[in-house]
Order: sequence, then C-alpha cells, then structure tokens
Amino acid sequence: MRKATYMVAYTGIRATRNLLTACLLFSAGIATAGIWEEGDVEAGQALFNANCASCHKVTAEVLAAPGLAGIVDRWGASDEMLVKWIQNPQAAAEEGDGYIKSIVSRYVPTYGWMTAQAGSADDIKNIMAYVQTPPDVAPVTDAGSQCPTVDEMALPAEEGGSGIWFLILLVLFLIIALSAAGVNRSLTNAMNKDAGEDMLPELPYGNRIQNWAWDNRVVVSLIVIFFASYGAVLGYQGLMRIGVVEGYKPNQPIQFIHSVHVCENEVDCKYCHTSAYESKHAGIPSTNVCMNCHKAVKKGRRTGETEIAKIYEAIGFDATTATYVDGDGKSGYALPQDSFDGEPIRWNKVHNLPDHVYFSHQQHVVVGGLQCQNCHGDVETYTVGRVAKVDDINQLVDKYPGLIELSKPTLTMGWCIECHNKAEIDLASSGYYEEIHRRLKDNLRGNEELRKYLEDDKITVKELGGWECAKCHY
Amino acid sequence: MANTKRYWSGLDELQETEAFKNIQEQEFPEAKSVDEFLSDERLESTHTGRRDFLKFMGFSLTAATLAACETPVIKSIPYTNKPEDVTPGVANFYASTYYDGHDFVNVLVKTREGRPIFIKSNTKTGVGRINARVNASVMSLYDSSRLQGPQMGGADANWDAIDQLIKTGLQQPGRKVLLTNTILSPSLNRAIDALKESAGVEHVQYDAVDYGAFHAASLADFGVSSFPSYSFDKANAVVSIGADFLGTFGDTIVYNDRWSSNRRPESGKMSRLHMFETTMSLTGSNADYRTMVKPSEQGKIATALLKAITGQGVAANLSEAAAAAVANAAKDLKKAGANGLVLAGSNDINTQRIVNAINVALGSVGTSVIHSDSGLFQGDFKAFKALVKDMNAGEVSTLIVSDCNPAYDAVNAEAFIAGLANVKTSVSTSLVSDETASLCAAMAPNHHWLESWGDLLLDQERIDLVQPTIAPLFNSRATGESILTWAGIPTDWYTYMRQTHAANYESSQMYTNSDWNKAVHNGFIATNRANGEFNAYAGGDLTAAWTELNGRKGGAFELALYQKTTMGAGQHAANPILQETPDPITKVTWDNYVCMSHADVDAMGLNGFIGQEAPASVVKVTVGGSSIELPVFPTPGQTPGTIGIALGYGRGANGENIGKAAFQSAENGSFQMDASGKMTPVGANVFPWAVGGGNHVEYAQYDITVEATGGTYPLACTQIQNTFMGRESIVKETDFTSYFAERDIKKGLASWNKRITLGVHEDVNGDGNIDALDSKPTDAFDLWHEHAVEEVGHRWGMTIDLTTCTGCSGCVTACHIENNVPVVGKDEVRRHRDMHWMRIDRFFASDYSLKKGEEEGTGVISSYRRMEDPALNPQTVHMPMMCQHCNHAPCETVCPVAATTHSNEGLNQMTYNRCIGTRYCANNCPYKVRRFNWFNYPGYKKFANFNPAQDSLMRMVLNPDVTVRSRGVMEKCSMCVQRIQSGKLDAKKDGTPVQDGSIVTACAEACPTNAISFGDLNDKKSGVSAISENNRAYHALEEIGVKPNIFYMTKVRNVEPTQA
Repeated sequence: MRKATYMVAYTGIRATRNLLTACLLFSAGIATAGIWEEGDVEAGQALFNANCASCHKVTAEVLAAPGLAGIVDRWGASDEMLVKWIQNPQAAAEEGDGYIKSIVSRYVPTYGWMTAQAGSADDIKNIMAYVQTPPDVAPVTDAGSQCPTVDEMALPAEEGGSGIWFLILLVLFLIIALSAAGVNRSLTNAMNKDAGEDMLPELPYGNRIQNWAWDNRVVVSLIVIFFASYGAVLGYQGLMRIGVVEGYKPNQPIQFIHSVHVCENEVDCKYCHTSAYESKHAGIPSTNVCMNCHKAVKKGRRTGETEIAKIYEAIGFDATTATYVDGDGKSGYALPQDSFDGEPIRWNKVHNLPDHVYFSHQQHVVVGGLQCQNCHGDVETYTVGRVAKVDDINQLVDKYPGLIELSKPTLTMGWCIECHNKAEIDLASSGYYEEIHRRLKDNLRGNEELRKYLEDDKITVKELGGWECAKCHY
Repeated sequence: MANTKRYWSGLDELQETEAFKNIQEQEFPEAKSVDEFLSDERLESTHTGRRDFLKFMGFSLTAATLAACETPVIKSIPYTNKPEDVTPGVANFYASTYYDGHDFVNVLVKTREGRPIFIKSNTKTGVGRINARVNASVMSLYDSSRLQGPQMGGADANWDAIDQLIKTGLQQPGRKVLLTNTILSPSLNRAIDALKESAGVEHVQYDAVDYGAFHAASLADFGVSSFPSYSFDKANAVVSIGADFLGTFGDTIVYNDRWSSNRRPESGKMSRLHMFETTMSLTGSNADYRTMVKPSEQGKIATALLKAITGQGVAANLSEAAAAAVANAAKDLKKAGANGLVLAGSNDINTQRIVNAINVALGSVGTSVIHSDSGLFQGDFKAFKALVKDMNAGEVSTLIVSDCNPAYDAVNAEAFIAGLANVKTSVSTSLVSDETASLCAAMAPNHHWLESWGDLLLDQERIDLVQPTIAPLFNSRATGESILTWAGIPTDWYTYMRQTHAANYESSQMYTNSDWNKAVHNGFIATNRANGEFNAYAGGDLTAAWTELNGRKGGAFELALYQKTTMGAGQHAANPILQETPDPITKVTWDNYVCMSHADVDAMGLNGFIGQEAPASVVKVTVGGSSIELPVFPTPGQTPGTIGIALGYGRGANGENIGKAAFQSAENGSFQMDASGKMTPVGANVFPWAVGGGNHVEYAQYDITVEATGGTYPLACTQIQNTFMGRESIVKETDFTSYFAERDIKKGLASWNKRITLGVHEDVNGDGNIDALDSKPTDAFDLWHEHAVEEVGHRWGMTIDLTTCTGCSGCVTACHIENNVPVVGKDEVRRHRDMHWMRIDRFFASDYSLKKGEEEGTGVISSYRRMEDPALNPQTVHMPMMCQHCNHAPCETVCPVAATTHSNEGLNQMTYNRCIGTRYCANNCPYKVRRFNWFNYPGYKKFANFNPAQDSLMRMVLNPDVTVRSRGVMEKCSMCVQRIQSGKLDAKKDGTPVQDGSIVTACAEACPTNAISFGDLNDKKSGVSAISENNRAYHALEEIGVKPNIFYMTKVRNVEPTQA
C-alpha cells in the first residue's frame, strides 16, 4: 500500500479544508457579501504569512511573484474567478476569462504558474481582507540593513589580551629576578672579598637554581602546585571539548545566506525544511524547491548572479528563456520535472550525529512543539548553516519565548538529556498522552508512579522514559 | 577431615603422568630464555634497529593522532527533483505479488528512499501471508552477480544485436521453442501467443519440481487439467501421504493460512493431521499422527486407505504399525466425511488417481479439494523430454529459455546440455549467468520482479499485480517486452499489459486511470469472470493402478528426495540469509546431507552425534551408475532402511557466476577450490537422481546402495540437543481432549498448565505447620526491586502459540533482514557463533522418562542420559526463542557498565556503545538468546563472500533504522524497538492512543500461521493482553522467576489422550 507521504507541504496552520466544504461555504459567502468585504483581518494575516508570504508581499514590492498592493482595484474578473484562480490557477485559466488570460500572459512567463492553494473561499476572503488593509505594513526600506548576519556583526572587544600581557610580564619579571640574583651574587662576592671570606663556589646554573629552590622550598612548592593545577584544569577542559562541534561551519558549494532568506524575505524555516514535520530528517530542500522562487529571483542582493547560477546549473534551467532544459540541451520546458536532472548539489552536512543515534525531527517539532531556534539558534542571522553555540541560544530567550535554556554544548548527549530532564510534557496535549495519563490514574500501581512524577508538579520527558537508552539508540 | 580433600586440575595430575610432572616443574612452560632468543642467528640478518623501531613508533603515533584530529566532512545530497511521494527517512509500502514458479503470494514491499528493503505479507488485500523464502528474496535484487546487461558469446552486447540475433534465429527452419516455467501471467501468455503466431514458435512449460501427475490425474478423473486446490480450513481430518504442504508442497503459503485457521483449540475444535512419510518434513513434525513409511510403500498406503474407506481394491501388504495407522486415519476420515481431505505428494499418476477416488468417496471433492481453474504447475515433462530429444537430433534451431534452469534441475540435464550445443540460436532471460544461461549463445536478462510490471492469474476471479518498486538497477529488459520485440509488436510492456486487462478481463469502466491506480494500490483486480465448474468424477477402473502400487518393491535402502523449507528447489542458492537459516528439522545450515535413521547410523557404525568438534561421517550413495559422497546426519523420524537428500544444492558446480554465497568460502575471504581449480558449491546436486523415465518426474528411488567411506565432514548445526530432557517448564503440551475438558479453568490451575510454586518458610495454607505444603507462586518473589511496567505506560509483550507454530522459520529470516543481523557463515555457525536474534528451538520427544527409569531401576543420571536420545519416530515441538524481555532480567544486574538496562515500557534494552564485551550478560541469560559479535562482520575478510554489509550493492538492503553492530559488542532481540518508536510517534502525531495492531514486530508480521502476536500488555483491549490471560499462556522457565514479557501458549495436539 502506498503510504500517503505527501502531506500538504507548508500548511503551518490547520486551516485547510476539503474542496467540497470550500464550495459550499463559497456559495453561501457570495450570497451575503463579496469576497472583498467582511473578512477577518487577523485570520487573514495568519493565513497569508503561512501560505502566501513566501512569494507575495502586500506592498507593491515584487518577491517571487507580483506584489499585491492595490489588488482590489486591479482585479478585473469576478470574485468567483479569484477564488478559482487561487485554488487552481491552471483550471481557472482554462475557463477563458479575458482578465485571467491577460494576467497569465503577463506574469506566467516570468514567474511561472502559482502553486494551487488548498484554502477555502472563507480563507481567501480573510486573506483579501488582510491584503486590502494590512494593519502594519512596514515602510519600504532596505531590509538588508536590518538583517545583519553574525559574520557581519561587530565582534565584541577581545578580552583575551590579558594572557599575552601575563606572559610578557612573566618574562620581564624573570629577567629582573635573574639580573637581581646576578647582582646580588656579585655584591655578596665583593663583600666577601672585602671581608676576606670565601667567594661563593662556582657552581653550574642548574645547581645554583636547585640550591635556590631548596632554600625557598615553600614558595617554590606553592608555585609548582599552582601551575600543576592550572595545567590539570586546562587539560580537563581540553578533553571535555573532544567531540564538541559547537560553531562548526563548513564551507558550502553555494554561498547560501540564511539571513537574506529568513530575515529579509521572511521565508519560513519549514518552507524549505519541510520534512522536519514529516520525517526524522529536517532535510536539505531539493533543488526544485529553490526554483519555486529562483525561477523569478535571478539575482541575489549580495552575491549577484554567480551563486544562483549554480542552482540553475544543477537543475538545468535556462535563465534567459526562463525555461528548463532537457537532456539534449533543448530548452522550453515549463516544469522542473522535465529538466535533465543534472548533478545534484553536494552540500556539506552541518549537524552530524553519530550513526547509532536515532533522532527524529518530527517527534521534537510536531509532537514536542519545539521551536527550531531551540537547537539551531538564530538562523536568521546566519550566512551558511552552522552548529549554534549553547550560550548564543540561551541569549535568544527574550526574542523567542518558551526556549529552554541549557548549559551543555550543543549536539552532545549531555545537552540532549539535559533538555529531556527540563522539558515538560502537557498530558492534555494529545490523545496519546491522555491514555498514558489515564492508565496512571486508574490503578494503584500507576498512582504510586504518578505521585512520584508529580513531586515537582511537572512531568518531564525524562519521567516518561526520555533518559532510557533505547529511546534514541537501537 | 575436611582438609584432606584434594582437587585435581585434570586427569593428568591424578594419574601423575610424566608430561604433567615436567610441566609442573616449570612455571612458564616452553618459554624461551633471553640468551636463547639473542643467540638466534636469524636475528643478525634483520635490519630494524632500536632507533628505527622508535622512529616507526613515533611516526605511527603522530599519524594516528593527526588522523584522529580531523573532523570528517559528511556530504548531504538532496534530490534535484524530489519525487512527490518520497520523503527521506519515511518508508513507503507498495503492494506487489511474488511468483517464481514455486511460491505465489501477495506481498507489501517496504522501500526507503526508493530502495526495497523488506518484504512483508499483505494482510489487507492479499491472500495468505508469507514464508521464509519469499521474505528473504529481497536479497536477490541486490545480488552483485546479476548480469549488468545483455551478453552475446560471453561478451557484453547491446539489445539491438540480441534482437537481431533472435529475429534471424526465428527465421531459420526447424523447431523454434520458447521454454519457460509455468506462466501465470495473462499478458505474457498473450505475448507468447503473438510470438507463436508471428514466428511459429512453440511454447513448452517446464517446472523445476514436476507436478505433472496431478494435472494428468485431474484430467483423467475430472476432465480438467489443473492442480487441485486444497482447503485445509474446511478439513477436519487431513491425511497426507508424503505431501509437505506446510513447507514446500504446492501453494504452501495459502495452505499454512488455511490449515492453521482450523488449529485453534479455543474455537472448540481442531483438525487432525495424519502423516505418512519417509523423511521428517515440516508437515510431518506438525502432524498429530506420523507414520514412517518407505517411498515404495507410499502407494500402498493410498490403496490401503481406499480399501478401508470404500472397500475397493486389494488389501495392501503393510507392516502392522502402518496398517494400524491406516485404520486409524480411515476412521477419522470416515467421521469427517466431506470434511476429510487426502493428499499425496508423490508425482505418480496411479497414486494421485487413487487419492482422487478416496476424496470422491469421502465427498470432499468440491468442499475441501477443488479441481478447477488453478493454473499452478503446468510443466509438461513429456513435452520437455521430446524437446531434449529433438535438440539432440539437431531439429531445434532456436531455443529461448525463460525463468527456468533445466541444465541444473532437469532429471535429464546431461542430455539437455548435450542437445543445447546443437541448437543454433539459444538465448536465456535469466538474471544471472546460471547453469543454463551460461551455455546459451546469448543472454537477455529479465528485470528482477521488484523492478518490473507484471500480472498473475492464479484462478479466474482475480488478477494479482506486480509493480516495480525501484528503477532497474542494470541494463535489463522485461521478458514480456523482449518477447513483444521478437514478435514484432512495438508496444511497450506496461501498455500491453493494461491492454490485456481491458480487452479480456474487465468491463471498460475498470480501465480508467483511477480504477487502475486503485488496483495497483491494492495489488489485485477482481475480474468479471468466475472460476469454472469442475466436471463430475469420471472414475474408471483403478485395478491397474492399485496392482502397480502394491507390486512395488524396495531394496536394502530407498531414497527420498525432498526440498528443504528454507531453500526450496535451489532457486535461492545464492541467498546468504536462507543458507544460514537452519533447516527446521535438522537445524543444519549451509549444506545438504544424507538424512538417516539413528538405527541405520548405529548399524553402519557412523557418527551418531554431530557437534562443533564432532564431524559427520561421509557415506557414498550410489544410484544406478552414479555416486555422490555426502555427510550423514542422524535424523529422528527418518524411516529405517531409507535415506533422504535435499534437492536444491550443488548450484554452480561448474563455477557459473550465480552469486558468491552459493559457494563454500575459505577462511581468507576467497573460495574453497576443488582439485580442478573450480569453486566448491554448497552441497551436492541430486536432481539427476529423480526418476524421469515416464511422463512425469518422481522424486524417489527404491533401490540404492549406501556405503561408509570412513571420511568425515564438519556440519554446521545450530542446535545439537535433540530433546528437552523432561524439563516441562520449557515446553508445555497436552492433547485436545484434556484441553477441552479443562478449557474454562482459571489460568494456572489446569492440569496441563499448572502454575509453578516454590516452597516458603511460612504458614501459607494456615494448617498450623510450616511444611512442604506451604508454597507460593513465583510472582510472589522479588529478588530485586521490580520495574514498574505493569499498568504504567506501555508494556510491550508478545505471545507465541506453540499449537499453530509450525517451525517454518519465516520469523527467523524476517528478523534477520529487519535487524541487520550479520550472516556469519558455516564455520562460525559450527562454532555456535550464529547471530540469529530469533531462533526456533526444535525438541523431539524421547520415549524415555524419569518415571520409566524408576520402573526399570535405571539410576536418575542414566535416565537423564537416555532422555537425551530422541525416539525413533518422535513427536516434535517447535519453539521460537528470542529475548524474553524479563522484568527481572538476570542479564541487567551483571553488566558492569549498564549497557543493558530495562525500559519503563518493559523492554530489555541493549546499548551497543556502552557495551565493553564482558559477555557476563550472555552467561547469565537463562534462555541463551544473547549474541556476541566475535568479529567485525561488516569488514573482516572471512565474511566477505556472504555478509550483505560487505557487498557494495547488497548493503543497500540494510535497514537504515537499525545500527550495524561492530566487533566486541553483545546484541539480541530488541522487540523491533525501531518499529515501536515509530509507531508511538505516529500515534502521538495523530493524537490518539497507540492502536492495537498498529505496531507489529518483523517476526509477528512474517508468521504464516499467525502464531505470534505483539502488542501492549497494558492495553486491556489489546489482542496480546487477552491471549496472555488465556489459560494456555505460560512463561518459559517460569520457576526461575524472571518474569518475562513473552508468553507461550501450551501446545495442544489433536491426539487421543492415551498417546499423549
């Protein structure tokens, strides 16, 4: 049996309904008011951000598709056609409406067909309400200036200079001490000579230092103990960094800038990393997903055309005709599936877990409701992907409420189980946990366990077995 | 006094031998003194000085350190165009159908990222379940010996050249023949018809194992040429004369399903199985009454049965025991009437016609035996013989061989090979260059069944579909497409196949795309045809038949040729997993051998015990003029005066490249070579010893000679114990009458499943005395703190019904593939280092007991010694054994590094990365289910020829959800924790409790008789929790109080109580 794996890719909210209800609601909606009136702006905004914002802006700015400012005045077909157009552009175009024909010929060659959206007529009404009167459209500025990447941020003043000063001073003091010792010796000899006593014996330096050390053994032992402890601490810290990959940022074949996509253009994480919601792997987007936008966006704000050209090369896209090229070098194909399927892009994997670790994104994101930032940090300030440092993640708590603060280095097992110890489970959140809860409540033995769990008034992942080996290793 | 006691370190010390005294004087025996070492002259000639040594050491250390510093860069390569229905990390399942001429079954193929990695039964839309052979067949897709493309004259060719060759060949004068196995595909038949028409090609069907007599008998008695359909679900009494229907005979997967459905004691009735056979087969080991007969006597059993039921015929000349068994069987058959069923495995038309007559007399024809439109086994040996004759006469100009391998498995293979040299144009569509293909002028490799479209018509009511689950790995072409090309039809195979259905079987509406997609999704199309009515019994005089059968005489030794449940007829010879799966009866892996009764083994003075260092004796078996030397395995249940040898071995005897696992591996990773420098195959081929004088092939010889040679040969046997020596807490069994009498008694109280109690030093029964009567059940004792798993969260558990478990080993192979269990090869299996997470313990009954020993005055120890020996014709128990996931696990407490721990879901977890390999856990495991990785199986050269992880292609079959273990760690059954985790995740995601049946372990999924159930014991509505409360449920070794999460169900045999 073929398992239906193609969940609708980027429905962040569960507002999708089936076509039948859509039609029913639609006809009801038409009877009372047009599509442009009586929509819920707030619901519309949520829908817009989840489904439309990756290509359209509510301003006149062009992202991967025309901006929607003034759409209410521009739209030259019926309300019904608008709904049809959004739900299935190709089918709508086949109906032969003149206005639709005009927009097809104007936009499709440049931007390609819009992906059919599963929204109902009511959803579309809400979206239109939002598009007409966007409550908080930021003034058009150069967004780039507001989205610096960590690589561009000013580095905090290094405090590491003290070590060098310490060394310089140490050397200086040593020189002074040795010179003083020499002077002292000369003076003593001179005094002895004057007093007619024996000169100090001519010993090798080694012996002299030995004698000196023996004479001052308390101080010397203290110093030795100090340095030995210092060395031990450094050594221990060094050993503890083995296997710690915080900050790992390999070079990538394409200089992909997360901040441009996530911060400036507000593309949601799951638009590209869809499978984080469906699979254990978050996945790197396949090249055809890149093409959804880059069919239109041919020039990058920072890297110009060179990096985007690498995508075109991989998938077989001819930027001049805006069509795909087949294996024989013939262009003119509208769909990426018809292209020649060139060399795939070989990315360097950033987050590497050992082979015996079975981590599931779906478990953490869909069931656990974790935010991406909790493990990956503020990706919207990144250029290419990197392993976030735990301290940097902890600083994001204000920006992303609900983040769990941790202390162990990211991607270590200590970090995983620290979180499993802290993260709480809401027993009412799912029928699955409700059943587990019921079993605990409904019998004596379970009740004892439950009391144990609730000593601190919360049920953590650990208490439901999150620290057991075979939850992650098998 | 106590301290006068002396202990000896060994017999040497006791006897104070000279050698021992010498050793005793030296603290370090055989040590070389320093002087002696330095005075060695050879030392002078070496050049490595101390400084050099230090340099090397220093360099190695630095190099190793530097190499360890660099973080490896791992590539991550996404799709360029992601297929819509593939999500990396998520498995897809596709319905398909397996058919190889032997097994026919609906399956679901699990693919990950487009790679098929597991084949399981299709329980929703399929018929029957699955077996070991089909389950393991996924390996053959990734066989690196598969042909990479078409070949001509031993060199690579292109398809145009091949097509040109055939097209030219088809215009030659002389017979042009397409030789195939039984074709069930309506589309392929249509294409063959087109080829017949366009080029005058004849079609000859040939089966590796011939069932021609069944067709002939059906034709003679009912006017239809068909293989009968046996409905064991409707039969209350089954009598099988040498038909191993649970293992290898006929449509075995469906038979397993049907037979077991009528073997559930809870339903209040059970069918009864009488078996008459020569070599203990899987079916024989599950029979309620099993009688040993010689091959020459099988026909007499049939005539005696006919005589007993109808009074027709003559009284057969049978031994007293056999006559009594026949009378017993006849009594049950008469009682069952139309719900009786008689079948015979012998491919002999006289026997089959007598069997037909018995079934007609019982009235079972039409209820439990149906002679109608089944297309199975249409092989026509008579036509094949004629073809071979014409080939030798030079009258055949063109021969196309497809899906059959007569150069290996024909009884007249020698003549076939000689004739093939006379055929001008010969082509084979085999996937590998097998015995036949390597002799053909050209090879036009077919797709693997997992790569191609196909349709199969077993009966008229449904067409089962085969769909590709991966793009072809090599430059192969579907045989259907090849035939279309040669017939000059330009249509591609897929379109042609759909046209067939539209034209012949379906109303036009069924031909829409959505309906077709639905059919592909389900794996079948219901046709608009009905199965034909079978004709009335034509009968006729059977005097000649029974006279011939009763006149059969045997010599000193008779030979029965059988198929092993694990290996079939040799089609899976290159499958390392099947080679390593122990035979269900003998538990021998990686070989075929002579099965011989203990009585004969003793009489001939051969080795009666086969163990790690106790090799088998080799005998020379001579049939007609040819002889083969094979080791002897003493097999309980083998009829004295007979031997049995398995077919399907000795593949690739001329070094044909049929797959590395088909040959004997050498220690250094190459192959064992024979004197002539050819690779030594596994086992020996005995197909030429079948009898092919008549129109059908029979698989027995009535007069052969067996001589001891004095040689020995090591056999790799996973279980050397034959009996459980009276330890009834391992296996509990009873007869159906006793079960029925106490079926409603509370669990733990029935006489056949009494709870085990232990004496305590407190007055439990309140009689005022503390005495032997005071005892408590084992669950009252807790040596350690109990793990809180009952009633808390999940408690994963399993139930195994010993009544329906047939020992078929489907679970073993399923577990093997699902969990990436290493294949370790014959030598390691012989050392008992087999790695199977799941094994099936096979216990034979002994006819000795402690009670009998007491009566006879045998001492207790001698009695136990005699209880080790199985009876000559023993009853058999098959007991699947894997980690019992004890809640008081003895292994967990002895691990010094806490690498094996208990989860709060009742699982005994194994953490490979913590394990340091002390093996304490294995020593402390009462069930001996823990396996230690003695070697780096995925890397060490000794395993290069058969370990799937060592082959760059075959490693694709590894399950990405399970770690491939490395050397030095312990491993064992995890209860498929990867499936549990993913099942729980699905439930959490859907926001529902885990539904019963949504998580199934690989073994439970594979079980063809549904004997294994898996689920959550804490879910009071689950199937397993109900079964575990059944009064047949018990824990193995209950008295040791380890509280397992695995329950066994008392075995119920449908025998009369006196015999139990």
